[in-house]
Amino acid sequence: MAGTREPVIVARDVNVHYADKQALFKIALDIPEKEVTSLIGPSGCGKSTFLRCINRMNDLVDSARFEGQITIAGQNIYAPDVDVVALRREVGMVFQKPNPFPKSVYDNVAYGPKIHGLAQSKADLDGLVQWSLEKAGLWDEVRDRLNEPALGLSGGQQQRLCIARTIAVKPKVVLMDEPCSALDPVATARIEDLIDELRQNFSIVIVTHSMQQASRVSQLTAFFHLGKLVEAGRTKNIFTSPQDERTQNYITGRIG
Amino acid sequence: MTSLIGQTPDMRRRRAAETRFQWYGRGAIFASLAFLAFMLWSIISGGLGAFFTTDLMLEVDLGVQNIDPENPAAANYRAIWRDAMKEHFPEVTTRKELRALYGMLGADAEYELEAHVMADPAIAGRKVKLPFRASDEVDMLLKGNIDRASPEDGRPMTDQEIAWVDHFAAAGDIERRFAWSFFTNGDSREPELAGILAALAGSFLTMLVCFCVSFPVAILAAIYLEEFAPKNRLSDLIEVNINNLAAVPSIVFGLLGLYMFLNTFGLPRSSPLAGGLVLSLMTLPTIIIAARASLRAVPPSIREAALGLGATPVQATFHHVAPLALPGILTGTIVGMAQALGETAPLLMIGMVAFIVDVPDSILEPATALPVQIFLWADAPQRAFVEKTSAAIIVLLIFLIIMNLAAILLRRRFEKRF
Repeated sequence: MAGTREPVIVARDVNVHYADKQALFKIALDIPEKEVTSLIGPSGCGKSTFLRCINRMNDLVDSARFEGQITIAGQNIYAPDVDVVALRREVGMVFQKPNPFPKSVYDNVAYGPKIHGLAQSKADLDGLVQWSLEKAGLWDEVRDRLNEPALGLSGGQQQRLCIARTIAVKPKVVLMDEPCSALDPVATARIEDLIDELRQNFSIVIVTHSMQQASRVSQLTAFFHLGKLVEAGRTKNIFTSPQDERTQNYITGRIG
Repeated sequence: MTSLIGQTPDMRRRRAAETRFQWYGRGAIFASLAFLAFMLWSIISGGLGAFFTTDLMLEVDLGVQNIDPENPAAANYRAIWRDAMKEHFPEVTTRKELRALYGMLGADAEYELEAHVMADPAIAGRKVKLPFRASDEVDMLLKGNIDRASPEDGRPMTDQEIAWVDHFAAAGDIERRFAWSFFTNGDSREPELAGILAALAGSFLTMLVCFCVSFPVAILAAIYLEEFAPKNRLSDLIEVNINNLAAVPSIVFGLLGLYMFLNTFGLPRSSPLAGGLVLSLMTLPTIIIAARASLRAVPPSIREAALGLGATPVQATFHHVAPLALPGILTGTIVGMAQALGETAPLLMIGMVAFIVDVPDSILEPATALPVQIFLWADAPQRAFVEKTSAAIIVLLIFLIIMNLAAILLRRRFEKRF
C-alpha cells in the first residue's frame, strides 16, 4: 500500500469489538519504517482504537476483543508467546494529554531506562537522559531544572518531556494519540517540528484531528471512517487527489 | 416597576428560599457545635479534677527507735504513720474511730513513707513533716464533691471525719498537686490509687497488633482488588461484602473473635493479641474501602504512562500509583485505627473487661484497654471514680484528636496535584 520504504508494521484483517459494538472492520494497513503515518478521520471512526492495538493498550479495556493480525518487524504481536511488556518497550506511546509522572524532570526520563536496565551506570543514565531531552528539544529549557517537579513545566514542555520519556527506551515505533490537542499553536508548532526530526530515528504513527497537521508532518495518511479504513496513501496524494468520495468530502470539510 | 433588573415576585420568592435554606444550614451547624461544646464542657469540667490530688502533711517520727538507719527497709512503716496520726489526734481512742482516722490517708501510706525514706535516707533519725496522699473521700470533700450540708448518714464522710479534715486545713497541712499517679498507676480498688497506665499499655499493645495485622492485609487486598482483579460478578460480590462488613456492629466481631480466636485457636483470653485481632477484623473493611477510594482517585493517565513505557502492572502500581495514593491510604488507616482505639464492645466479648492492675508487657498477658477502663470506672460505686472516668475520657479524646490531626497533616503534607 503505497510505501516506498519497507513496512515496519503490517496490519491485516483487524477487527475490534467493544462488548457488542464493532469498532474496527477488517483493517489492513502497512506502516513504513522511519516515516510519519497519520491516522485521520472524524471522532469515533476507530483511529485511536487502531493506534492502541499497535501497543496492545486496548488489552487494558476489559470489554475490548481483538481479531486479526498485526506484525511488527515480522513478528505477530498478538501471538500467544508475546510479552506485552516487551512489546511496549519497542512501541512507545505519547498520549493526548501530557501525563508526566509527578516526579522530577530527570526521574521522568530516567524511569523507562531504569526499569529496562538500559543504563549500566549513573553516567550512562545521565547521558541517556540528556540525549532524550535533546532529541525532544527540551534540553536547553530544563538543563538547570532537572530535579524540579515535572508538573511545574508548561503544557507544551510537559508534552515534549513525555516524548523524551518515550524515546529514552529507544523504541522502534512511537505512537502519538493527538499529541497536540491540549496545546496552544506555538507549542503545537514545536511538537510538529520535533516529530519531523524524530522520524530520522523512529517510525511514527500519529492520530490527529487536524488535517493541516496531518499534511504538515506526515508522509503517509490513512483515512478512517465509521470503523473502516477508507483510503491510505502518500499524504500529498491523499490531500490533492483522493480516490474515494468520502475522503474527498472529509478533507474538504463536508463531513466530519 | 418592571425594569430589567428589578425584583419580580417570582424572583423575590426564589431569593427568600435561598436565604431560608442558608439559615437552616447555619442552624444545623450551630446545633451540632452546641452539642459538641456541651459534651466537651461536661467532660472537661468533670474530669479536670482527677489530674490533681490532695496531700495531707503529717509529721512522722523517724527516730532510731522506729527506723534502723543501717537497714531502713526493715522498719515497720505502717506503725510509724499510724502512730503519727494517733499523736496528731490524741482524743481518738476507740478502735472504730481509729480505723476511720487511718482511713484518712491513702491505702498506700506505708509505701509512700518508705519511698520518702529511700529517696532521702538523711531524714531517718529525725522528726519530719511529709506529704501523704489523702484518701479519695478527703480528696472529694476538698474538691467540693461531698455536700457538707447533707445529713450525716447520707454522705460518705462522718461529721468527725470532716472535722479532722478541717483540722488539717486550719493548720495549713493540705496541699494540692498534679496527680502523676494517674498516669503511672494501673487500676485499683482504691480510687486514690487508680491510674490509667495499665489501660494505656493495653490499648497500645492492642493497637499495635491491630495495625500489624490490618494494615498489610488491607493494603494488599485493596491494591489487588483495584488494580489487578478482573471486574466480574465475583469481584462485585466481594466489593458488596466488604462494604457490608464495614457496617456490621462491632459486638458481632467480638462474638466472632470469641468463637474463633479464643475457642477455636485457643489464644489467651483478655490478651492484647486476641483484642488486636478482633479489632483488625473491624478495621480491615474501613482501610480497604479508604485505600481503594484513594487508588481509584489516581488518574488513569499515570497508569497508562507507566504501562506505555513497558512497566509491568506491578511496577506501574508500586512505582507510581500506590505512592500517589499513599496519603489517602494512611488517612484511612489512621481513621480506622482511631475507631478501633475507641471501640469497647468487642473487647468486652473477649474478656478484656477484667480487673487488671499490672501493666501488661507482652501481647499475651491479660490486659484491658482505655475505653474498657472508662466503662469499668463508670460502673464503680465510689464518688471519686466519676472524676476518674471523665479524666480517662479526656485522655482518650486527646489521643483521638492527635490521630485525626495526624491524618489531616499527612493529607496536607503529601497531597500531590495532578
